[in-house]
Amino acid sequence: MEASRKKAILHLAVRAGEIMMKSGAEIYRVEDTIVRICKACGIDNVEVFAMPTGIFVTLDNDLSNDSVSTYIRRIRSGETDLHKISLVNQFSREFTTTDLSIEAGMQRLDEIERGRRYHFTVRVIGAAVVAACFAVMFGGNAIDFGCAFITGTISYTLSRFLEKYEINFFIRGMCCCALAAFIALTIAASLKGASYGPIISGTIMLFVPGVAITNSIRDFLSGDMLAGLTRMVEAILTAVSLAAGAGLIIKLWTMIGGLTL
Amino acid sequence: MTFFICQFALALFATAGFSVIFRVPVRHIPACVLIGAFGWVTYELSMTYYSSAAFGCFFGACVVGLLSNIAAHYLKDAATIFIIPGILCLVPGAAIFNTMAALLRDDFGDAAEIGMQTLCMAGAIALGLLVIGAALRIFYALIRKTVTLKDKF
Repeated sequence: MEASRKKAILHLAVRAGEIMMKSGAEIYRVEDTIVRICKACGIDNVEVFAMPTGIFVTLDNDLSNDSVSTYIRRIRSGETDLHKISLVNQFSREFTTTDLSIEAGMQRLDEIERGRRYHFTVRVIGAAVVAACFAVMFGGNAIDFGCAFITGTISYTLSRFLEKYEINFFIRGMCCCALAAFIALTIAASLKGASYGPIISGTIMLFVPGVAITNSIRDFLSGDMLAGLTRMVEAILTAVSLAAGAGLIIKLWTMIGGLTL
Repeated sequence: MTFFICQFALALFATAGFSVIFRVPVRHIPACVLIGAFGWVTYELSMTYYSSAAFGCFFGACVVGLLSNIAAHYLKDAATIFIIPGILCLVPGAAIFNTMAALLRDDFGDAAEIGMQTLCMAGAIALGLLVIGAALRIFYALIRKTVTLKDKF
């Protein structure tokens, strides 16, 4: 097999894996996809080592001559996007069962990667509904529902804004929860019947590390201990950042005398 | 009863919100929403009858895991797509807040108790998903075995 074709296969497989990993797939699925794509192109010896921070792939077709190709792709964290996982999944199924060419496959992956998320307004409304519903589920009343709707809208917008400027996740979680706590306390102080507890915990649910927890468990289950640990630590740090952000504001609020704990 | 119907409706909308944020494909949103709502109602039910948050999370996670795998089988897509929005309702956001509030009151006894409970809830979610994952793996292996045996004889 000529070197250029081998390189193209590597590019394709690693690209598919990268999109999946960035969108929040488990390690097992990423490695499986890469191996399947390579095997479909007629390469039998494929070794993949994937982690949330990078993918390493080695192809070794014929053992007689020394033509081993290795590819390392560093992965920066991305946003969870389940639609992309679903699409790459479909793509790998299609690629392995039909005779889709490598160039066409690369084009399909480009299209998948360019795929737009839901419109920003829709996502903000979604976030506001999440915060509002959880405020009531955690024991709030109708007034808390309305307040959490507002805090959810504002803190989700802030989180998108900070993400645009690539602020790291710890600071981001802390700032969003601090802002949510500030607004909740202001509302609770000025509006009769509103309590800050359910509003803040409802808004916290927006940033809770559910994806990291779920994925870390699934990674542990399939034996990828390193990836599981990475994601577990990420989950714990995120939870701490959320509590720290809200706690800081509540403490300051108490110190200036607006609240007695 | 009205309480549970209310909770079901709220969880329905909350999961719909998560589905939008995490961009679940439109055709899978109804399934995701139902899975999330059933998980939360299971949690609330076991909170009412056993009054243990950790057990509630365990049963809730079991329900979410099982329903997600069934949905993944029938809708032909990865189970992750259904598990992630579904499990988010069970993640102990309120417990994180309560732990922090207890710490702010300088009430370390309370903080340790609620914090421990938070950890237990997170662990219970993990355990629920693990149990369902392992059970399904055995189940599939058994099916495969019976099918191959049928071919043989």
